[in-house]
Amino acid sequence: MNKIWNYIKDWFIEMGSPPLFFKWSSKILPWLLFISITVFIVGLLWGLFYSPTDYKQGDVYRIIYIHVPSAILGQSIFMFMAICGFITMVWRVKISGMLLKSAAPIGASFTLIALLTGSIWGKPTWGTWWVWDARLTSTLILFFIYAAIIGLHSSIDDKTKADRAISILSLVGIAIIPIIKKSVDWWQTLHQPSTFSLTSAPSMTPDMYQPLLLCFLGFYLIFALLLTMNLRAEVVIREKNRSWVSKQFLNLER
Amino acid sequence: MKSNIYNWFFLILRRDLLMAFRRSSTYITPLIFFLIVISFFPIALSPDQDFLRSLAPGVIWIAALLSSLLAIETIFSEDFRDGTLDEFFISNDPSFVLVFAKVLCHWLVTGFPILLASLISSLILYLPVSSLLPMICSLILGTFFMSLLGAIGAALSLGKSAILSAIIVLPFSIPTLLMGTAAVSSAIDYQDYSGFLLIMGAMLAIGVPGLCLLTVEAILLNYE
Repeated sequence: MNKIWNYIKDWFIEMGSPPLFFKWSSKILPWLLFISITVFIVGLLWGLFYSPTDYKQGDVYRIIYIHVPSAILGQSIFMFMAICGFITMVWRVKISGMLLKSAAPIGASFTLIALLTGSIWGKPTWGTWWVWDARLTSTLILFFIYAAIIGLHSSIDDKTKADRAISILSLVGIAIIPIIKKSVDWWQTLHQPSTFSLTSAPSMTPDMYQPLLLCFLGFYLIFALLLTMNLRAEVVIREKNRSWVSKQFLNLER
Repeated sequence: MKSNIYNWFFLILRRDLLMAFRRSSTYITPLIFFLIVISFFPIALSPDQDFLRSLAPGVIWIAALLSSLLAIETIFSEDFRDGTLDEFFISNDPSFVLVFAKVLCHWLVTGFPILLASLISSLILYLPVSSLLPMICSLILGTFFMSLLGAIGAALSLGKSAILSAIIVLPFSIPTLLMGTAAVSSAIDYQDYSGFLLIMGAMLAIGVPGLCLLTVEAILLNYE
């Protein structure tokens, strides 16, 4: 058992070494690009044009195909970052710190997209751009935490040090986000009854649900694509003085 | 071994308290800041009694959060600059205890004056007497948690601008703010407030070991 575990660990560490990562990611990147953009576009087209119109909200509801996947992604990217942060803190794996750093702006963007599309969706259906609803508030706080992480990373010059600093912050974040969610829920239900809720809408028909699932898949694939591209850039910037980088790019030029 | 840790803890605590009390600005500044912020709200909004009473829990809590963050920069930065912190970390005594003693000292110097000032501000803002007990209890728990969070922010932004550590810490302080204001305002409405205090206590109980350990990690980052 221990042997297998060690084998897996060694394999991961080997795959994560910058030159090897650059090599295998170059191979899978075109495939990832093709698949992710195809699924993304097909999912969005299906959702935006070929799914049935909602009998209550009309065509406005179609923003769900962007709003819900990006909101879910904003949260799951934070979870991903916390796992990377744990690995960075415990095993000092260099690549996981870079992963953490490259995932942060993507997560912040998806959270911002969720906030903006939610606001656009709220105007015709709720009548206002913003409501201090529990879910909205906790998403806004999540965005602030992303901003804190990005700000902290950019303020520290030594990048390996900055990686470990934000891994500490992401661990604090993952511990406190459930508390924020619970406390905001509690605050909301205590002070005023929830004015609007998504669950009171009629449950979705499969015609609406299937494109949404495809959109989820498409957004996750787009995240994987953006993360790979970000990480490749990060690896090259960090290792610019190493011989493998110069060899790589000199070969490309020839 | 046991007495060794206690000695170490009280040594740090006594030293830091002594240094804090020799310079009166460390404990006067948060106090004055707190009172100034409190007095701005009636001036800016309205001196109406009922309005102020409904606003009071939030106002007191926001002022408490801001003023407990005010002096957080000094918790490690001075010792870091003159090299005392290096000596503490080189010595064989546990650095976890060092961080906890420093946080406790910071709380005694800033959080405790804020408690006294909140009594005065409850008069200014017409808080009913029945809500004084939950206010004090929630402030004790909340400002201590804020000192812990502030320590990690200060450790991560050692040698950087003061505004950075505020930006790092403030998003994480929201549960404390919510629970604290909810406890006080439910006491104003004669509702049960013990649940909020229990949750704040639970957060503190997890926060003391967890955040102190992470703070040690964050300080060690500066010695690589």
